[in-house]
Amino acid sequence: MSEPVISVSGLSVSYGKRGRAIKAVDDISFAVAEGECVGFIGLNGAGKSTTIKTLMGFLFATAGEARVFGQCAGEPASRSRIGYLPEVALYYPFMKARELLELYGGLSGLSKQELKVRIPAVLEDVGLGGKGEILLKHFSKGMQQRLGIAQSIIAEPELYIFDELTSGLDPIGRYTLRTLLLKLKASGKTIFFSSHELSEVEMLCDRVLLIHKGRLLRDAKVAELQTESGAQGLEPFFIELIKRQEQEAGHE
Amino acid sequence: MNSRAVRLIAGTVLKESVRRREIYVLVLVACGLLAVIMRMDFFGLGGLTKFYREASLQVMGLTTAFAVIVLAARQLPREMENRTIYPLLARPVRRVEFLLGKLLGVLLAGIFCFALFMIVFLAGSWRMQADVPWVLFIQHIYLQILMLAILATLGFLLSLLLHTDAAITICALLFLLSSVSSMMLVNLYGYLDGFGQRVVLFLTYFLPQLTLLDVSEKAVHAEIWPPLGGAVLLALSAYAGVYIGIYFLCALALFCRRAL
Repeated sequence: MSEPVISVSGLSVSYGKRGRAIKAVDDISFAVAEGECVGFIGLNGAGKSTTIKTLMGFLFATAGEARVFGQCAGEPASRSRIGYLPEVALYYPFMKARELLELYGGLSGLSKQELKVRIPAVLEDVGLGGKGEILLKHFSKGMQQRLGIAQSIIAEPELYIFDELTSGLDPIGRYTLRTLLLKLKASGKTIFFSSHELSEVEMLCDRVLLIHKGRLLRDAKVAELQTESGAQGLEPFFIELIKRQEQEAGHE
Repeated sequence: MNSRAVRLIAGTVLKESVRRREIYVLVLVACGLLAVIMRMDFFGLGGLTKFYREASLQVMGLTTAFAVIVLAARQLPREMENRTIYPLLARPVRRVEFLLGKLLGVLLAGIFCFALFMIVFLAGSWRMQADVPWVLFIQHIYLQILMLAILATLGFLLSLLLHTDAAITICALLFLLSSVSSMMLVNLYGYLDGFGQRVVLFLTYFLPQLTLLDVSEKAVHAEIWPPLGGAVLLALSAYAGVYIGIYFLCALALFCRRAL
């Protein structure tokens, strides 16, 4: 069996100084295999973004380790194979959409010729066709999110990491995005994303990781969870799981 | 070292400073000031030429230094606050390349500011039919660019330690007081003992003597001052290089350890 694309083992991440440190991620372990689409779900503050930022090298592990493509998380060699969408990001308002994609594509190592071909196609893919010459200060939140997705796919990487994938998107935007992700999935790319939209997760993912208060509650295939949850669907099932966990923690 | 990444990041900083129009406002105000100076007629032509040169160099130096200080001190905090740093560092870009790109961009913005002033200055000189002492002028601008690099790296360093406003204020104070601070420290040293003297000694070496890099007086009185020799220029470049290197490495050490 080939090495996992993402491998996290015993990872803990804390914020703040010693003594007053808050553990945002507490001893979690999981792996994502090549070609898998994995959804990372949990309530606000559960530790999803912290885990993702650690995978990108923006935050540092206080214990355990996170590896991407067999290398320590954050190594430039591994980052060159990742397309990343941050949770909330503003893009330079003084730039045009085309210029922004030229910048990110150039930083990913694409040549000017490649960018000339890729940019219009990528803008079209995310529903921003013909908007390349508009300054980003005139972009709405949804358009910024679409542009964020465009910047993450511009270099056609092997692994996609999306933090709060559907944030700020309208129904048409979600549909466009779902179509795009299904295309990426069909082409064998690895996708790891966090989302609050369980319906999206159910539709797109092979596997789901549920995180709560920094600890991994479940790591299971979507099909298994669907069988387990029965007719009620994933959303009530996860709420039930979290409530049960809260009660157990209360008893302790 | 990924030089393309450095160039692309520098290009973004330059683009921002040009498109945000902050530099133009500074240059416009400065031009207005120079236009007023050109209309004065109580010096006679010789005196006016010197006064015009001096005022131009002072305005040019002050304005560009402030533009660079503000630009440098804002770069990293703004990238972090707006989270624009994430998609940038999600690329195969090392933090050292990111910081180098920012430094280069800020310097290019400073040079752009200088270039705008030079156009205005040359137009004024041509209108007054005054000579321009080219060699000393170019030497002055070269040394000013070194000074801008010191201020920019210090701005980066302070912005990683303090609030942006505090970083800008301290940098600006250092620049404004540079002509008196060295003398002040020497005097202070005599009044202190023990720990106080050690602090003064540390400050003497940690803070650069920016006045060493200011040859505006020579450029104004170019008739009596020959251009600087190669060895002097080399020594001044090395002096500035040491401070740029120290501040840059300190900023890099902090930035590399910073959780984003």
